[in-house]
Amino acid sequence: MKQGDTFELSFTATEAIYNSFIEAYNDRNPLHTDLNFAISKGFDKVVLHGNILNGFVSYFIGEGLPTENVMLISQNIDYHNPFHIGDKLNFIAKVKNISAAAQTIEFKFIFKNQLKKKVAKGMILIKTLE
Amino acid sequence: MTFNDVFKKFNEIFIDVLDDEEIVLKESSTANDIEEWDSLSHIQLIVNIEKEFGVNFTALEMENYSNVGEMCRGVLGKLI
Repeated sequence: MKQGDTFELSFTATEAIYNSFIEAYNDRNPLHTDLNFAISKGFDKVVLHGNILNGFVSYFIGEGLPTENVMLISQNIDYHNPFHIGDKLNFIAKVKNISAAAQTIEFKFIFKNQLKKKVAKGMILIKTLE
Repeated sequence: MTFNDVFKKFNEIFIDVLDDEEIVLKESSTANDIEEWDSLSHIQLIVNIEKEFGVNFTALEMENYSNVGEMCRGVLGKLI
């Protein structure tokens, strides 16, 4: 990999992922589970857990790179717009920096929905394993 | 930029990365002297130092630095 390399993946926020996330982590906040509550807060559908996106980021790191010899060092994510069950998310990650000394690769990433609206963006730092 | 400028900035980077406001580096400081300086924070330190000064090190260069003072001189050498 080199600076500027870009990776693109598509994800769908399926009901199965949503249900699995709730089952795994027990976050049943009404914003995520109660349509009337979500509507009362100005949304037209229940809002999916932002951390579901981190699962997609995990897939990118673990399965979407040219090498499996990688380990996540740090990650941050900023949420810009909610996403909902059925949304198709376009994920683009670009290599921002490579450190030979630290054996790390830094990516900037962005998620956009099917309407091209920015859902989230962030940074990932991975270490390449020998 | 002088050695002292680089050293002062190093101290700020170490405080930020290691989340310890009380860190006071010495030229002789090594990972053995600072509890929070573990293998993962070492990676973060290198990345942050390279970004802060706009320099890049090789893995071999980094291995050859035996303390903070030598790392600072390494940075300074790349800035000149």
